[in-house]
Amino acid sequence: MTRRRPRPGAPGFAFLVHPLSPFHRRVVGVRFFDPAMALGRSDGAGMGDVGPIARVGLPGVAMGQVVGIGLDPAQMLADQELALVRMRRAAALAVAGGAQAIGLGSLCAVVAGRGEALQAHVPVPVTTGAAATAWAMLENARTVIARVGGPVAIVGSAGPVGRALAVLLSAEGVDVRVDHKRGGRQLAVTVCDGPAAAVAGCPVVIGAGPTGGVLDPVALAPGAVLIDVALPGTLTGPPPRGVVVLAGEAVVCPPAWRRRFWGRLYQVFAGYGPRQVFACLIEPLVLVASGRTRPFALGRRLDPDDVAVFGAVATELGFRPRLARGWFGFDVADLPGAPRR
Amino acid sequence: MPLTIAKSAEDVDTQTWEKVQEAFAEALGLDEDEVEFHSVIIDELGAESLDFLDIAFRLERAFDIKIPRGGIEMAARDDVGDPSEYEVDGVLTQKALDALAEAMPEIPRAEFKPGLKSNQVAELFRVGTFYNLVVFLVNQKEAA
Repeated sequence: MTRRRPRPGAPGFAFLVHPLSPFHRRVVGVRFFDPAMALGRSDGAGMGDVGPIARVGLPGVAMGQVVGIGLDPAQMLADQELALVRMRRAAALAVAGGAQAIGLGSLCAVVAGRGEALQAHVPVPVTTGAAATAWAMLENARTVIARVGGPVAIVGSAGPVGRALAVLLSAEGVDVRVDHKRGGRQLAVTVCDGPAAAVAGCPVVIGAGPTGGVLDPVALAPGAVLIDVALPGTLTGPPPRGVVVLAGEAVVCPPAWRRRFWGRLYQVFAGYGPRQVFACLIEPLVLVASGRTRPFALGRRLDPDDVAVFGAVATELGFRPRLARGWFGFDVADLPGAPRR
Repeated sequence: MPLTIAKSAEDVDTQTWEKVQEAFAEALGLDEDEVEFHSVIIDELGAESLDFLDIAFRLERAFDIKIPRGGIEMAARDDVGDPSEYEVDGVLTQKALDALAEAMPEIPRAEFKPGLKSNQVAELFRVGTFYNLVVFLVNQKEAA
């Protein structure tokens, strides 16, 4: 990655990502102008296999660099120390380029202690994206609940995002059921014995867990709406007929969002689609735009109050969560039980 | 002197156990006294699949070892030998159940019951399962 001097004016941020597959790594190789990686002759594990993917952001507010490491998910899971070393290199280059905060995408937010080991080596805040994810999930859940009603089941309630959602929704008086006692500690929620018991009869289900395969689809109520954060999804198989599965953390960017050619390509290859991003991408942007100097989320730490703080700033900047299926928005009028237009 | 595999909390090496306990507490956001040898990691401690990555990372650092992904299952498969005798349509054979029970003495034998699927084995893991894995890998490292 070319060293850049910090630019005057808008603060900078970085977002660390990795290719999602060996094919994806070849595309990254094209972006890096690295023939070996582009032709599949490099496994992306080299020290030099780190570089810029795209420049994105809001001019005058905060501009950031999406920085890629060359490791695919299998490599990152097989050797977390190697992943950490590459992430340290990417972060160091980003900081040298003016980044005042580092966000973590996909498995970068999971390996090496969910960002904690990286933070120990980086002089600017490292933030996992969990606050942004929880905010988008919360807003989308509110939209669905307003149409469909409750109660709401949270699968993955013992995790940071699930726990924050249980706190915030129960504080609003929503009838919440959680799948584990840790998700319901000291809260006015119903603690159920596992995911299947939690979702039974619930019209709205939030999949807040980190990866899929925890919920048997037959446990879902007919016509239930599953708002899912997980990739792969929370369900162990295809959803039953009539069940609606929606992406939980899709966010529409304000008109001033800048991404240029590589940014557009990145949005497509990352699975966001052309007109939306996943909320975690904007967490470091919101962090530097608000002048904050500590992470919104790191390790397992996610303060529900910080979800609200993040959401207020993100909303002010023009970001808007939306219900989505894949690349595309989902009209609330199409929800089960919602009045047709 | 090599560490020994533990069947219960009474058998553990205190220094090793405390490091294991600390790794679990940090990875799962628990108090150390909530982490017990026989705690069921998913059901009782609330761990999710990705938490296992964090636990493995912390244990690898604490003991300077490398925990192979799926290592316990691989060992059991090796014991069974013929891959077709390990599972049928995802359901573990009696040979596989016996091999897994042998590999994980900290888990009550009765829990390896017929009909158990290979993707359900992680639901049986105790904290002691990882203690014993650490003991095995530390011994292996020191013997090398």
